[in-house]
Amino acid sequence: MVSKQESLPRGGWRIKLQELHTRRKRAVCLDNRFTSPKPRRARIALFLAAVPILLLFSLMMGPSGIGIPDLETASGSAIFSLRLSRLLMGLLTGAALSASGVVFQALLRNPLAEPYVLGVSGGAGLGATISILLGASLALPLSLPIVAFVSAVLTLVLVYAIASQGSGGQPSVYSLILAGVIVSAICSSIIMFLVSSASVEGMHNVIWWMLGSLQPASPSQQQVAALLVAIGLGGAWVLSRPFNALVLGRDMAHYQGINAGFVITLGLLLATLLAATAVSLSGMIGFVGLIVPHVVRASFGPDHRRLIPLSALGGGLFLVLCDAVARTVLAPVEIPVGVVTALAGGPFFLIILQKRMKQAWIG
Amino acid sequence: MAHDALSFRSVSAGYSHRLVLDRVSFSVREGEFVSLIGPNGSGKSTLLKTAASLIKPISGSVELFGRSVSQLKPRERASLLGVVPQKLDAPMAFSVSEIVMNGRVGSMGLLGRISTQDHDLVERAMIYTDVLPLADRYFGELSGGEQQRVALAMVLAQEPRVIMLDESISHLDINHRNEVLQILLNLNRERQLTIVLVSHDLSLSAAVSDRLLLMHEGRLAADGAPHEVLRPELLGPVYDCELQVRPDPYTGALQVSGNLEGRKLAGSSGLRTHVVAGGGSGIELYRRLLLEGFGVTTGVLNELDSDAEAARALSITSVLEQPFSPVGPIAAECARMMALEADAVIISHVPFGSGNLVNLELADDALRRGRRVFIAAGLAERDYTDGRAASRLLESMTARGAQSWQTMHELIMKLQQQPS
Repeated sequence: MVSKQESLPRGGWRIKLQELHTRRKRAVCLDNRFTSPKPRRARIALFLAAVPILLLFSLMMGPSGIGIPDLETASGSAIFSLRLSRLLMGLLTGAALSASGVVFQALLRNPLAEPYVLGVSGGAGLGATISILLGASLALPLSLPIVAFVSAVLTLVLVYAIASQGSGGQPSVYSLILAGVIVSAICSSIIMFLVSSASVEGMHNVIWWMLGSLQPASPSQQQVAALLVAIGLGGAWVLSRPFNALVLGRDMAHYQGINAGFVITLGLLLATLLAATAVSLSGMIGFVGLIVPHVVRASFGPDHRRLIPLSALGGGLFLVLCDAVARTVLAPVEIPVGVVTALAGGPFFLIILQKRMKQAWIG
Repeated sequence: MAHDALSFRSVSAGYSHRLVLDRVSFSVREGEFVSLIGPNGSGKSTLLKTAASLIKPISGSVELFGRSVSQLKPRERASLLGVVPQKLDAPMAFSVSEIVMNGRVGSMGLLGRISTQDHDLVERAMIYTDVLPLADRYFGELSGGEQQRVALAMVLAQEPRVIMLDESISHLDINHRNEVLQILLNLNRERQLTIVLVSHDLSLSAAVSDRLLLMHEGRLAADGAPHEVLRPELLGPVYDCELQVRPDPYTGALQVSGNLEGRKLAGSSGLRTHVVAGGGSGIELYRRLLLEGFGVTTGVLNELDSDAEAARALSITSVLEQPFSPVGPIAAECARMMALEADAVIISHVPFGSGNLVNLELADDALRRGRRVFIAAGLAERDYTDGRAASRLLESMTARGAQSWQTMHELIMKLQQQPS
């Protein structure tokens, strides 16, 4: 800048100064400091910096001892690759569940919405139970996740059809929630009945599946699941602006030029896809999809363009850490990860939400 | 020829089981400031929703600048028409500037960046509506009036050519209401913005609007300049009450007022009425007569009848007979005495049969003794007595000066006239 000014002809000084002045003036006008988002940049940076550290920390935890295993030995590299693939399972499942929770909470405008609200858990659970008790899951390698996924999607279709009755094709969010809760309850009852009349071994298998675990699935299943989660997350992120508008209600979003019915239907489908993928991958892990979105929203704001990726990352990280605790604390016994999520995560998140309840949800 | 900004052509619309708009036709030219007035439930909000294509018309067509609303893409519609709702609800902790930025969502598309122009439009809208100082506050924490201004800023940022406001300014304090109206008037004059304001404040609507549209039971009851629409004989039947319209002595602006002002001074009229009702036909009568300050008695009614329940709830002195029984001699005599103590006897839209013909006879008796009697019109259709005794009695009573009434408003007017 200085050298430029020095090279100016003498008479140009005044003009240059004036130009500088106007340029600065324009700069003030253009910086839009009133409406530019004031991102919680520092906080987000801190969070992003913590992610690799915490992931590394979880790699060091396991029933065989704390620390990075010796990669030179065969057993050491096997342990490490097992931990790594559990980490990937955790990231995938946690990201899917918590992004799904974000979308459900936005579209249903309800703080209690979670990935399983439209009957995904009930449907997937029923499918999986039948598959386990009939022994099909042992006979065919991929049948359990496929059955769980298909029955979850079928349940959503059923719930959507019930909720649409008598409302001219566009179900209200309340009828969706009610239909979801009722279908879930019916599915749960049938599961209870099947389990109670099953053999001890069958019962054990079903309950273990329902508690959820991050035992690595087959590579092909992981790849398919990763693809589906990527589709779900990407799709949800593309819709994040309409989601913001829909928080103000369906009517207002419509007035602002959003095809509200289309966005709601597509969003529900994507969220269910995420939830069903997570369930088919790791069973029913609770709590992540309900609470992580609230905590992320309370910490980083409700704008879905940031909320969806940050929740996905936060949910994945949270589940990975819970899994590290689950397999280490009582080693060699492994606690179901679904137990740890609420038991360890509950108090931690309660403290955060206590302080920032207002930022999480104003109702 | 320039197209109208908004036109309704014989539009009928409603919800699944209820028709709300009944063949409504009107048009609004670009740059007009129009107020939509009418009592609660007359279809104003439905009309707005139909204009914004939130409700599809059952028949007829709605056009925005000559293009059918239902065929416009959502984005195009939003660039032509903005709606400020009665109340905006944001359950999550969005800041005010984030909310206003939502006004640009339609034109930004899914992945487009927020441009400098978007920021400028948002800032300008926030400055106009005086919500810039609130930019970083959470929307959910603001007062109702502040939220309304934010909602208006959001719709202004949308840059539509027509803005519809659904009773959006009724919650504002007088300062901000005038400010918001001033903003709307300026936009209307300088940028030819077309404005449709739904309002319950008739005087205010008259002051700011070029034209008033008066809605009544899903139809357009009147359409014209304020002084053409704000006439007591037009408003009275629509609002079903007595209204006065007079120019303000200083400004000449039309002022519409109900008859509440004089009420405190005048006190109750002191007139006593006896109501003959039954089967629920008397509830509205009791309510209005008590509200207008008349003394009310009623009978004979059957116990368990909904009018009997209402009379008890309103502490109205009443003569009761056993449930589902014809009126007996003792009850009839009591009611006769009661009717004679009143200044006027009012017969509701109650059907007459052999069981309660006595009630009409006691009115006849009161008429003979110089009381005024008002009979709801159309009694002949409600006559189930043998040999049409009630209709014959009606004819003879009418000949002797019994009056007929149709609407509550008309009845109250007649009651308040001094007997000649």
